[in-house]
Amino acid sequence: MEEERLWKFRKPEWLNSMWARNAGVYAAGALFSIAFYVMLDSAVWSKSAKNASDVHVKFVDWLPLIFSSLGMLIINSVEKQRLSTDSFSYSGSGVAWKARVVLFLGFAALAGGMAGGVTVFVLKFVVPGVGMPALSMGIENLVSNALVGFSSVVLWISQNMEDEYSYNLSL
Amino acid sequence: MPTAGLKTIIALSFVLAVGFLLVILSCALYKVYYPLLVVATYVLAPLPNWICGRCANPDDFVESGGAAVLDVGRFFTGFFVVMGIALPAVLAHSDLIRVEAMIMSITGGLLIYGTIISFGMFFQEEQEF
Repeated sequence: MEEERLWKFRKPEWLNSMWARNAGVYAAGALFSIAFYVMLDSAVWSKSAKNASDVHVKFVDWLPLIFSSLGMLIINSVEKQRLSTDSFSYSGSGVAWKARVVLFLGFAALAGGMAGGVTVFVLKFVVPGVGMPALSMGIENLVSNALVGFSSVVLWISQNMEDEYSYNLSL
Repeated sequence: MPTAGLKTIIALSFVLAVGFLLVILSCALYKVYYPLLVVATYVLAPLPNWICGRCANPDDFVESGGAAVLDVGRFFTGFFVVMGIALPAVLAHSDLIRVEAMIMSITGGLLIYGTIISFGMFFQEEQEF
């Protein structure tokens, strides 16, 4: 196993501990919560008395976040071990192929959500030249989509940690 | 760790009372009762871990379905914990509550959640023996 290493630097030992992957999952939930509440903050602020402009958060502003979250759900629901089962002879039904297609759809939804966030920001806030206090609604949209992406990265990494952990345990 | 004696229970209930006092003060001083949601959030926060801990089979290491259910519980616990901090911040940013009320409700909520977590830890240790 040690000779099959690809990278020069080995993974630090503490990354394989149960504690680290649990903390990773908690952190992913926390990041997703921050993302959702940043978006909710822009929606609440848009309807509050502080918003003097006539720019308001509509359903269109929520769509990128919905797509990002859908992508995150799809990506992290796929069983990662099925991705490499094509090398074995007993995977007759093409599970790895299906997993790759579903994973591709998930990443497309995640990236599409981020691109949609940029689109809403440019078309609704930058092009009409909205001033600063109202511009923060668009910035919050971008930030929340980026946080959803970051959260799914953290969740992905900690799930892969779990695989290493159970592998070490089964040996 | 010492066993959960009478002093621990008294200290924990005192901290819980201070937490509730801060949250209720943050509502009643300004006549805006939105910060009470923080209490509901922190009471809900340990629930996903408990429910998913019941659903999962902890002896199952090879089949990772049990671990996935546990991960879902952890994810939602993290979500709820940050929600308790983020909710007053959102309300204060939109001028629905004052900043002082936000600080008081966040502090009180963290005290309540810390009480729940430490009580659960003491209780779990009692169960082991």
